[in-house]
Amino acid sequence: MSTKSVSPKSPRDVVIVDGLRTPFAKADTKLKTVHPAELGRVALRELFARTNFDVNLVDEVIIGNTGSPSDAVNIGRVVALGAGVPQRTSAHTVHRNCASALESISTGFDKIKAGMADVVVAGGTESMSQMPLIYSAEVTKAIAALGGARSPGQQLGALAGLVGADMKAIMGLLTTSPMARAPYKPRISIVEGLTDPFVGKNMGETAELLAKEWTLSRKEQDEFALQSHQRAVAAMKNGVMAEEITPVYLPPNFKEVVEADIGPRDGQSMEALAKLKPIFDRKNGTVTAGNACPITDGAAMVILMSREKAEKLGYKPLARVLSYAFAGLEPERMGLGPVYSSPIALRRAGLELSDMDYIELNEAFAAQVLACMRAFESDKFAREKLDLPKAVGSVDMAKLNVNGGAIALGHPVGATGTRIVLTLMKQLKRTGKEFGLATLCIGGGQGGAMVIQNES
Amino acid sequence: MDQINFDQTHEKERKMSIQESIRIVPKDGIALIEFDLVGEKVNKFSTPVMVRFKEVLEEVARGGFQAAVIVSRKPSIFIAGADIDEIRVMKKAEDFKGAISKAHEIFGFIESMKIPVIAAVNGACMGGGCEMILACDYRLASDDPSTKIGLPEVKLGIIPGFGGCVRLPRVIGYQAALDIIVKGGAVDSRKAERLGLVDGVYHPSLLEARALDFAREVASKGKRRKAYKPKGAMMAAMELFPARKFVIGKWKSGTLEQTSGHYPAPLKAIDVVDQTYGMSDQARALQIELEAFCEVAVTDVSKNLINVFFLMESVKKKTGVTSDVKAKPVKAIGVLGAGTMGGGIAYVAADRGIDVRLKDINYGAVALGLRHAREIWDKLVKRKKIDRYDLNRKMAKVTGGLDFAGFGQLDVVVEAIVEDMNIKKKVIGETAGHCKPDCIIATNTSSLSVTEMAKGHPRPENFVGMHFFNPVHKMPLVEVIRGEKSSDEAVATIFELSKKMGKLPVVVKDGPGFLVNRILVPYLIEAAWLLQDGMSIETVDRRYKNEFGMPMGPFTLMDEIGIDVCIKVSKIFHDSLGDRIMIPPVMKKLAENKERLGKKSRKGFYLYDERGKSQGVDQSVYTELGLGSPSDRLSADETIRRGVFPMINEAALALIEEHVVETPDEVDLGMITGTGFPPFRGGLLRYADSVGAKLICDELEVLAGKYGERFKPCTPLKNLAKTDRKFYA
Repeated sequence: MSTKSVSPKSPRDVVIVDGLRTPFAKADTKLKTVHPAELGRVALRELFARTNFDVNLVDEVIIGNTGSPSDAVNIGRVVALGAGVPQRTSAHTVHRNCASALESISTGFDKIKAGMADVVVAGGTESMSQMPLIYSAEVTKAIAALGGARSPGQQLGALAGLVGADMKAIMGLLTTSPMARAPYKPRISIVEGLTDPFVGKNMGETAELLAKEWTLSRKEQDEFALQSHQRAVAAMKNGVMAEEITPVYLPPNFKEVVEADIGPRDGQSMEALAKLKPIFDRKNGTVTAGNACPITDGAAMVILMSREKAEKLGYKPLARVLSYAFAGLEPERMGLGPVYSSPIALRRAGLELSDMDYIELNEAFAAQVLACMRAFESDKFAREKLDLPKAVGSVDMAKLNVNGGAIALGHPVGATGTRIVLTLMKQLKRTGKEFGLATLCIGGGQGGAMVIQNES
Repeated sequence: MDQINFDQTHEKERKMSIQESIRIVPKDGIALIEFDLVGEKVNKFSTPVMVRFKEVLEEVARGGFQAAVIVSRKPSIFIAGADIDEIRVMKKAEDFKGAISKAHEIFGFIESMKIPVIAAVNGACMGGGCEMILACDYRLASDDPSTKIGLPEVKLGIIPGFGGCVRLPRVIGYQAALDIIVKGGAVDSRKAERLGLVDGVYHPSLLEARALDFAREVASKGKRRKAYKPKGAMMAAMELFPARKFVIGKWKSGTLEQTSGHYPAPLKAIDVVDQTYGMSDQARALQIELEAFCEVAVTDVSKNLINVFFLMESVKKKTGVTSDVKAKPVKAIGVLGAGTMGGGIAYVAADRGIDVRLKDINYGAVALGLRHAREIWDKLVKRKKIDRYDLNRKMAKVTGGLDFAGFGQLDVVVEAIVEDMNIKKKVIGETAGHCKPDCIIATNTSSLSVTEMAKGHPRPENFVGMHFFNPVHKMPLVEVIRGEKSSDEAVATIFELSKKMGKLPVVVKDGPGFLVNRILVPYLIEAAWLLQDGMSIETVDRRYKNEFGMPMGPFTLMDEIGIDVCIKVSKIFHDSLGDRIMIPPVMKKLAENKERLGKKSRKGFYLYDERGKSQGVDQSVYTELGLGSPSDRLSADETIRRGVFPMINEAALALIEEHVVETPDEVDLGMITGTGFPPFRGGLLRYADSVGAKLICDELEVLAGKYGERFKPCTPLKNLAKTDRKFYA
């Protein structure tokens, strides 16, 4: 056991009163038609209801989102107003790729610590189903020409231009590989979003790199993926997941209610996983759709307060946020981000990795999680990369993602950061344990980490 | 002496204030005529205002101005119309003729003025206000949502009488004019611009300045006025005589069908437009309108509709209590039970900006409530009444779950669960435990005692009844039921909440069926007796709908309510009201068929398709009930009396003996807004007064002799008959 020298309770501690999320549904399934602002609204309104919360108390709403839907670019404001937060209350959106919804909590943490706010709603929302196709510049130009045409002659000309551009786009789609760029081809924003803009590697390719560098076998990765599903299914069956989920009544006709995550597979097996072909390196690769997280729709919300405010209002918080940290690394190895950010967050909290009772390490890829586990316990990696004298520590599989992770639950990029803190906080409460670490890798080459302490 | 002095000072002040009510403000050669009636919330054309208006116009005409601009200084009101109080007291055609001739003279003067006159309309411009601006050379309007221009006269049983029937068709064409005049409609400024009713639309802050600029411009060009020019060949063709005759004929037959001939005013208005359209002699045209006006204005229908108008207006000023206790503000409500009623209540609340939390026993049930509300808004989006942003904002206010999450933040909870006293009591007690101590719980029961139910609430002073009528979004009535222990604050809060939801609340005392259902049930049961006595379903329904003027016949209504519900309620009423409520054998027999429940099972007295559209009477019902083929031997009179007179009898008991409500007004308001009792009859008790208590009593005695004791007139009704008094003293 280490020193456990966390700071004593203080009135300006940042506590999490409670949190809630929508079910996470694999993209293009039941939540595909629900706007991300609506997903966020549902989660937040229900969180307010379950905490009997007076919306007039909110000082700031901070929402993570990466897709920036073009009809709601400051989606945080749309979520806030929809959830009944007063119009006078400030709301904004934060973007840190996969950690956007951790960024929302850390920004809230800073504001409360600085005395700028006492009550902050933090969270994230994402509809990966609704990320659009982007017309190429050439086609866009042709459309604009059509819109600007005045005389029938101009219109006819512009129409011909558009048809021509469209034909070229179709040719591009037929003659190049799905992810390759071609001048007239519409760009798939989700593919671009998942490609590093600095080194040009797709996220899956970064996972392949880690799998190779850390010699992670296909079997190891598949076993980890299987475990994720098994744990998630168990958490679903024994009602653990339901504690953090509010159902979504499906608009517009409300004929269906989505009550649980759509992702975890009850019958997942090694055989089924083994059948899948590697996506990112067809010849020698090991990363498949089965051992990577699916693209997903969902939203998650938490209410943060200063301890003094929570006490004054009579709320008994679930957790205290002790610290957080973000750190950067090579974009092509972004999956190792947690190894960089976690030791900093732990140091700020006055704790060691070994003090953690539970760890939520987001499962972007099985390869990436397994690589993190190896790097955490490597003295060499600590010395060379982290500038630390010895390894950060080892991660006990029994403490890691005990209710399953993103491989089963999915990873709605802008919402996951809050989801892992929420899941961790509820797990600490359920078991009466004390410390937890929530950490994730971030596309673009960063890691984020947050250390929390059970208060319930 | 004092009284005389007071009256004299008062008279002087009144004159002064009339002087001040319409002012001329010179603006660089333009006369700005400002309407701002002293001591009134709205501008309206009463006799003294008209006299003053004439003075002002003459002064402007003499004053060497280049042009005149008419504006209002009231927020949200331009000129609301003629003074209905004056119309109300006028009885004879001569009274109307005098007043209207004066208006013709004044509006004619506007037309004859040498300088251009421009109306700059911000706020409601209705009836006489609309007719005045039609006499102006140009009209501009603001795009404020309060700006509405229209001619609602037919709603009061009259027709536009200050030249509206003549001038509106000349400005916007007869088709668009009929659309406004016959429906008693109004248009917003965008539509008005499209129709050519106004010549420009501006932001309210810019309207006056733009109107002055506009006035200078037209003054410099010399006066001219615009006449209606049909747009396109099609519209031009419609102006031709044969096409016009055809279109106007269509308007007539359509209106006749819709009103079953009970409302003479819209037909009269069509006649006037027909006769005067295109007539070059305007004086003669106005004379035709005037005579038509007098014909309809003296009818009982008009008097009754005006009374109903005042009745509805009076609710706005009421608080529901006699003390000065104020209603508490309500921002969020809970609804227990997300069924048809619960979903409807959620809709009316969220539509008016109130947050709603639904609670039911499973997610599917909550979803049904959401769907119910959403479907109503969807229809409004389709009809372009609201846009999708409005829809999303409104929908976002409705949430729901299975537990009491969020109930700690609610101001009011409306209970709309199963009609079972024990279950309700238990749920109400449980709910109170999850709410703020001062949260008011209201029951939407239609048949159970509010006082008894209050025993389930730990603080019964915070418990009242709030009885909505189905469908909630359409029926304006809410019965606010005062239990023995209900506090004034609880009653006032629910009364105000009902108003906020766009409803017309009536406070009633607790008792079986409260007010409206208690009066209505004898009527529905009597329909079943008529069936028993050999009348056909179609005939009975047709007589009540077409001849008496109910919105639907009793059998159609029973299908809507649900036959099982009707039977259940009838039994409850029989137990509590005694032998006035006698359930006929056919009704007992009906109860045996669990498939024949009415519209909800697509089979009742009528058959329905899957969309709920009636497919005609189910002819098999007669044999199923052991009846021969119907003989329809009773006269129309008797058919109607057998249903309506027992309602009057029950109302007399409820009002005079039991004080369920305090005034005949409230009975009439309740019956019109809760059952659709024909407004042109002024309400149940206005109708009773027009028939006379004596005749009703005598007829009830006769019916009692023929059909049984259930018709026996009650003591209070007999007293009225004996002393030859009316319900309305």
